[in-house]
Amino acid sequence: MSAPPLLRVEFPARAESLAEVRAAVNRTLLALAVDARVLARIVLAIDEACANIIRHAYRGCSEGRIELRIERHRGRLRFRLRDHAPAVDPGCLKPRDLSVCRPGGLGINIIDETMDYWRLRPLKRRCGNVLTMVRRLQARNA
Amino acid sequence: MMEKGCELGRDGDWAILRVWGEVDLSWSQDVRKQVLDAYARVKSLAVQLDGVSYIDSSGIAALVEGFQHARAKGGRFALLAPSESVRAVLELARLDRVFPIFVDLAAARAA
Repeated sequence: MSAPPLLRVEFPARAESLAEVRAAVNRTLLALAVDARVLARIVLAIDEACANIIRHAYRGCSEGRIELRIERHRGRLRFRLRDHAPAVDPGCLKPRDLSVCRPGGLGINIIDETMDYWRLRPLKRRCGNVLTMVRRLQARNA
Repeated sequence: MMEKGCELGRDGDWAILRVWGEVDLSWSQDVRKQVLDAYARVKSLAVQLDGVSYIDSSGIAALVEGFQHARAKGGRFALLAPSESVRAVLELARLDRVFPIFVDLAAARAA
């Protein structure tokens, strides 16, 4: 049987929810004594992932909800974001060229740089998407 | 003082936009609007960031727009005293090499 999640929170898919989500993630990681630099990066990456769901999956529609689960397994943290938005094509999610200075589009780069692994899976039978992000706790700098 | 916000002021021919608190998707459009409003009045804008405890990519995008506007219109753009958390995101986005960053307005004027 898998361990209970360190955090399970469901919140409205609105930008106004983000501060509370960041605070919850912050508290959860502080309790694990995660290095401050790493903690800040993870909080940012989760915030960016939520913001992408709000802006691009739900397209700003305020009716949707997002569930965040954080689990610890064998020295890794797993972050799972579940939404109920229309399916998103994972092929559209690519980091952009940072040598080009332009506004926007940094969210995937931040997730990519912060996490050891991430995958977006559109749900075939039910409406929604699941974004899974994994980060090792040790032996990696921020 | 409110826990987050931005305020536009003036120092000679420079506009100073002081930003504080956590800048995220919920109000980064306000920062963007203030940046663009400033350029409607002056050609030089400095954004004071020492009071910013958190910034996400939407907040960074507002700064990039200001920088690009200045570059396109022959104006000046500067970031003043970014906090450690702002610096970390600028480095992550490799924008610390792009933005003119100064400790204060005097240093920006002298550059």
